[in-house]
Amino acid sequence: MKPNVSSFLIRVPSAAWVILLMMTIFTAINTRYLTLDNIVNIVLQNAVLLILALGATLVILSEGLDLSLGSVLTLSGVTCAYVMESLMDSGTPHAVAMGAGVGVGLLTGALMGAITGGLVSLGKMPPFIASLGMMGVGSALSLVLAKSTAIYIRNPLFSFFGERLDRSIDLPLMQYFSMPAFIAIVVFSVVWVMLYHTPFGRCIIAIGGNESGARLSGINTVYWKWMVYVVAGVLAAISGITLAARLEAADSIVGVGWEFDAIAATILGGTSFAKGKGGIAGTVLGVMVIGIARNGLNVIGVQSLWQPALTGTIIILAIVFEIMLSRWKEGRR
Amino acid sequence: MSLAKLTAQSVAPTGEKPWLQGAARFIVLIVVCSIMTILTRSDEYGFVFLNVSNLLNVVRNASILIIIGVGQTITLTARDVDLSVGSVLSLTSVVAAIMLNKYGIAFPVAIFAALLLGAILGLVNGLLITYVGLPPFLATYGTLWVLFGFSYLILQGAVIYGFPAGFRVIGNGSLLGIPMPIIVMAVVFICGYFVLNHTTLGRRFFATGANIETARMSGIRVDRVIITAYVISGFLAALAGLVLIAYTNGSEARIGDSYLLPVLAVVVMGGTSLAGGQGNLLGTLVAALIMAVIHNGMNILAVPAIWQSLVVGLLIIGTVLADQLLRQRA
Repeated sequence: MKPNVSSFLIRVPSAAWVILLMMTIFTAINTRYLTLDNIVNIVLQNAVLLILALGATLVILSEGLDLSLGSVLTLSGVTCAYVMESLMDSGTPHAVAMGAGVGVGLLTGALMGAITGGLVSLGKMPPFIASLGMMGVGSALSLVLAKSTAIYIRNPLFSFFGERLDRSIDLPLMQYFSMPAFIAIVVFSVVWVMLYHTPFGRCIIAIGGNESGARLSGINTVYWKWMVYVVAGVLAAISGITLAARLEAADSIVGVGWEFDAIAATILGGTSFAKGKGGIAGTVLGVMVIGIARNGLNVIGVQSLWQPALTGTIIILAIVFEIMLSRWKEGRR
Repeated sequence: MSLAKLTAQSVAPTGEKPWLQGAARFIVLIVVCSIMTILTRSDEYGFVFLNVSNLLNVVRNASILIIIGVGQTITLTARDVDLSVGSVLSLTSVVAAIMLNKYGIAFPVAIFAALLLGAILGLVNGLLITYVGLPPFLATYGTLWVLFGFSYLILQGAVIYGFPAGFRVIGNGSLLGIPMPIIVMAVVFICGYFVLNHTTLGRRFFATGANIETARMSGIRVDRVIITAYVISGFLAALAGLVLIAYTNGSEARIGDSYLLPVLAVVVMGGTSLAGGQGNLLGTLVAALIMAVIHNGMNILAVPAIWQSLVVGLLIIGTVLADQLLRQRA
C-alpha cells in the first residue's frame, strides 16, 4: 500500500493534536506563552503529576484502577513532614530528619498501596470501590495528622528537592533546570526499565491483556496484581514528598482530585481500560495536555474561579476526542 | 432463552434464600439500634436515642441517602456505578439556591429547573457511557470534577443561605406530624420499587445489567435502558439536593461531596451487586437506616467529623469485602 497523508495522520497520537491545538490558541492570545521561561515553568509544575500518573498508568495497564492515589499523595507528604518536623524539634540534624521523613513517607505510600492491592487481589474487590474506601481512609488520616491545616517545613536541605537549581547553584543556565523535573526523569527511567525489561512489567501487561490467560500460563496473578498497587503507592508517595518539598509545606487536602488528573493523563496517553494496551510514553503526552491546559489558562489571564470548570471540561473533551479518534483509526486499519 | 427466564435467573441468587438475607439485614439494624441505645444512655437524660424526635431525625437524615440510593441502585442494576451523584446534588442545589435567593424566581420554577438540570446531567453521563464508550466509573468520575468546577464557579467560593418559606416546606415542613423529607423519600421509594420490580422497564434494567449482549440480542435497546437509568439517578440526586437545602436553608459548592461514599456503602450493604443485574431496593432502605443510626450515634457521642469519615471509609471496605467473600463461598 502506498504511504499517504492519512497513514501519517494515523501514526500521530491524538494527544499530540490536542497539544498542538491548545498551544496555537494560547500563543495567539498571548505571545508571552511560548517562551523558554514558561516552558520551564510548565515542566516544574507538572513533574509531580507525571510521577503520580506513572503509577496510575501501571495500575490501569493491569486492568485495575486506583482512586486513592490523590489521598496517598497527601498522606505521604503529611507523614513525611510530620516525622521530619518532630525530629527537628527535638534537635536532630537536618539531613537525618530528612532521611527519616522521606523514609516514613515512602513507607506510608507502600503501606496504603499494599492495603488497596490486598483488597483487590486477595479480597477480589472491584478496584474502584476498594480504592474509593482507601481514599476516605487516607484523607481522614491526613486531616487528623495535620490537624486540618498544613505542616510547614523548615528544612532547607529538603526544600532543595523542590526548587529550580538557580536558587542554590550559581552557574549559568541553572534557571532552566529544577529538581522535581530531575526526579521525574529518574523515576520515569526506573519505571520504564521495570515495565519493559523485568518480569514485573511483562506480568502486569499480560494480566491486563487477558487475566485468566496469564494465570493459565503460570503467572502468579494475585501476587503481581498486589505488587502493582504497592508500586503505585510508592510512586504516589514520591510525588507527595516532592510536592511537599516544592511548596515547603504538607497541606492536608493538597492532593484532592489529583487522582483524576493522573487517570485522565493515562487515558489521554492512549492507555485503555479494556485491552491492556498503551504505555508510559503516552502518559507523558497526557500529562502535557493537562499541564499545558492549566498553565495556558493562567497565562492568558483566565480568572482562577473559572479554572476548575474549564480544565475539567477540556480534559473530558480531550478524552472523548482521544476515544473517538482511536475508534476511527481502528476502523481504518 | 426467553427474557423472563433470563431475568428470573439473574435476579434469584443461586443457592441462597433471599428472604433470609433480608431478615439478616433487619437483625443488623435492630442490633445496631440496641447498641446505640445502650451507648448513648446517660443518667441525666435517659435513653436519648429512643426519643421520638431523635428517631424521626434519624429517618430524616436517612431520607436524603435513600433518595440518592434509589437512583444508585437502579444504575447499578442496569449497568454500573454513578460516582457523580454527589456533584450533581451540589450543582443542582446551587443552581436552585441562586435562582431562589439571588434572582427571586418563584420556587416551583426553581424546583423544576433543578430537577431538569439533574436529569440532563444524568443524560450526559449516559451518553458518555453508551455512545462515547467510556467505562462508567471513569465517565461519572470525570463529570464529578467538572460539575464541582461549575458549582464553585457559580457560587464563587461563597456560601448561599436564606430561601423563601414556600420552598422550605419540602425540607422542614411536616404532614400529619411526619417530616416532609420522609414523605418525599417514601414516595420516591415506592415509585422506584414499583418501576424496578413490577414494570417492563424494571425487567430491562435487570436484563441489561445481567448480560448486556444477551439483552441486546433479545431485542432490548440497551443504550436507551442505560441512559434512562442514569437520567433517573441524576433526577433523584437533584431531588435529594432540593430537600437537603430546603431543610438546612443553605447551600455551598461541596454540599454533596460527603454523600458519595455513604451512598455506595449503603447500596452495596443492601445487597445490590457491583457486577450488575442484581438490585435490591428494600436492602438499600434498611442499609441506609443502619448508616443513619451509626451516624446519629456518633453525633450523640460527639465523635469528631474527621473520624466519622474514617469510619465510613472502613465501613464501605468492610461491607464490600464481606459481600465478595460471601459470594465466593456461595
